[in-house]
Amino acid sequence: MNFAAINYSAIIVDGLSFALPLLIIAIGGIYSERSGIVNLALEGLLGFGAFTGALFVASTVSLFAVTSDVPMYLSFVLAALGGAIFAMLHAALCIKFMANQVISGVVINILSVALTGFLTSTINANIFGQASERFMLQTSPRWDIPYLMEIPILGAAFTRVYPFIFIILIVAAFAWYLLYKTRFGLHVRAAGDNPQALDAAGINVARVRFTAVAISGALAGIGGMSFAYSISTNFSPAIYMGFGFLAIAALIFGNWRIVPTFAACLIFGLTRSAAFQLLPVFDAGAAVIDLAMTAPFVVTLLLLAIFGKKNKMPRALGEIYDKSKR
Amino acid sequence: MTKQSKMSPEEQRLEKLQEQSEQKRRRRDKDRNVLQELNRALDAATRTLTKGLIRGFGNERWQSLTIPLLAIALSLVAISILVLMLGSNPLNVFTGILAGAGWIPKPSYGGGQSQLTDLISLSISLTPLLFGALGFVVAMRAGLFNIGIAGQMVVAGFAATVLVGYSDLPALIARPLVLVVGAIAGALAGALIGFLKHRFNIHEVVSSIMLNNIFIHVASYLIKANHLNHASRNMNAASAEARLLTEPVQFGEVAARLPVGFLVAIAMSFILWLFLTKTKQGFEMSAVGKSPKAAQYAGIKIGPTIVFAMALSGAMGGLAGVTHYLANVPAMTPDVLPALGFDSIAVAFLGVVHPLGAILAATLIATLSSGAVYMGSVAGVRHEVASVITGLILLFTACGGFLRAWLDNKKRSFADDENLKGGDAS
Repeated sequence: MNFAAINYSAIIVDGLSFALPLLIIAIGGIYSERSGIVNLALEGLLGFGAFTGALFVASTVSLFAVTSDVPMYLSFVLAALGGAIFAMLHAALCIKFMANQVISGVVINILSVALTGFLTSTINANIFGQASERFMLQTSPRWDIPYLMEIPILGAAFTRVYPFIFIILIVAAFAWYLLYKTRFGLHVRAAGDNPQALDAAGINVARVRFTAVAISGALAGIGGMSFAYSISTNFSPAIYMGFGFLAIAALIFGNWRIVPTFAACLIFGLTRSAAFQLLPVFDAGAAVIDLAMTAPFVVTLLLLAIFGKKNKMPRALGEIYDKSKR
Repeated sequence: MTKQSKMSPEEQRLEKLQEQSEQKRRRRDKDRNVLQELNRALDAATRTLTKGLIRGFGNERWQSLTIPLLAIALSLVAISILVLMLGSNPLNVFTGILAGAGWIPKPSYGGGQSQLTDLISLSISLTPLLFGALGFVVAMRAGLFNIGIAGQMVVAGFAATVLVGYSDLPALIARPLVLVVGAIAGALAGALIGFLKHRFNIHEVVSSIMLNNIFIHVASYLIKANHLNHASRNMNAASAEARLLTEPVQFGEVAARLPVGFLVAIAMSFILWLFLTKTKQGFEMSAVGKSPKAAQYAGIKIGPTIVFAMALSGAMGGLAGVTHYLANVPAMTPDVLPALGFDSIAVAFLGVVHPLGAILAATLIATLSSGAVYMGSVAGVRHEVASVITGLILLFTACGGFLRAWLDNKKRSFADDENLKGGDAS
């Protein structure tokens, strides 16, 4: 074994580049589920968000200078918007059309894969005049943060950093503040735990839930766009790799709270990147990565089995709110 | 001397003004009347339309059939609008799909192909979808969401390929054995979900998501370590004797391999229907699904019923797995959960969570996917539009509860109106 060959800084950088998009998607899930709406649609929402962002880049890239980063930043705004709009479909199905929330999530995922696949190839053929099933993106710049990058070991977290890491950190901090420190956040949490009380206090439960689900879609869209930049530098239906379901595992692992979910995402991300980096060292063959990928799911399942009774899922999660019910 | 000459100019002007305003008012009244007429006509039209809708879809006995039909009709309208916007003819899209799936003849066929071979391919892709939907239906009857069908498919497909597919067994033994191994492997994977719910109180949706990912990654590890075909990047294919397609059968000029699982799947739909409605276990499962507390008071053991329901559901998922990986596709692809596992959930709902409804729903969805490629080549629309149709049908189906409530509501208000009218007459 050759431990000197281990690239520790790559473990940290790649781990963070995976953990933070996962975190923002999971926070999206937390918003929806704390408001009482089961969100299995995260997978579809992150894909649709990434689609909108990538479509924007593909259609406006000629308007900007080749070296400009502006399309990249705008693509995150568009991805959030696209995710939010698609999430409203989930919200409408669950709230207005009284659909079963699990079924609605499954349907939204199927529809998202179908629509983005169809639209990508149709738009490519009819508007850009090329037969392709993907939208290309520019390579994202990577930043070295002066001074901080010189700290031993931890400095690795500040070298060759994707800009989206900072976008996500800012949005995540704001999302934390909004959920725990504001009146609106209180309403969201009440809508998931005791909607009757919220209604009695004169707040429109449906509107709170609708907004929470839309926020959920926006955050998932940002996460999806990040994955599009970090993993493939393009948008194609290959983005549906199950990260939405991994985010659901993370938020359950984190007990539907943001800070523990952050810890869960860090564990998932670092395990994954460590497995990639340790392969050559242990001479294990590429297949072992698959065993490492099961780790987050096995751990979540074990935690649920051991602490299942303590796990506090929102009390009214999955229930259609009916004013006349007591 | 006329009257007018007696009038002063002011008076004349006043009269003129009055006349003008009178005319204006008359014109306005006329406009208002027209508007009112229009309004009344529109009102009547919507009333007749709603009345028609109620007459067509309001009968509760038929709603499990009519509501999905309404969902299908709505999605076809939506898709027609989309296709028209793209500048193509929606009729070409629909006939293209039907021709591609083998329901109507194509203008010409390539060598060795005919309408019959198209229909046979349709039945091959229909089989796993039907098994998967049956698996979901069984669990749903016991009040359980088995979204782990994809994982159960992987476990069964992997086990059957390794245990039977790589052996030298003759076809007569290998094929039935593949079905049995698949059903058992799937049943174990399903029972695990039921056990976790019963013993540790882990919600089945959550454990299914975790287990789906664990199963696919473990299977992918084993494939990459031992069974990888380096040319196709898939798992090594099972022997022809173990694959669930018969030796080529000659039909006039064309030859085709027939799917072994198709008739099994159709038979299984009827068996499950009888099981759920006519047997003690079936009744107990429905009782637990409808009200666990009431079932417990009646002396039904909830835990074992849940585990049994999940095992039965998993067995169907397993059959979906073997009919997918050993007939529908050449071999398992590592790291990819079969989308079919999730599609079958939607098929089950389109079939109103009934074993026989699943046959119709699976036929429709399989037709859409099977006819897509041919439609793409003749209708001038990308073939992916077929999966959008599927998505929209499912979307409208998910609103079925709402449609039903809306129709009931309208029906009641119409009935009230009629009663009031009756009161006036007497």
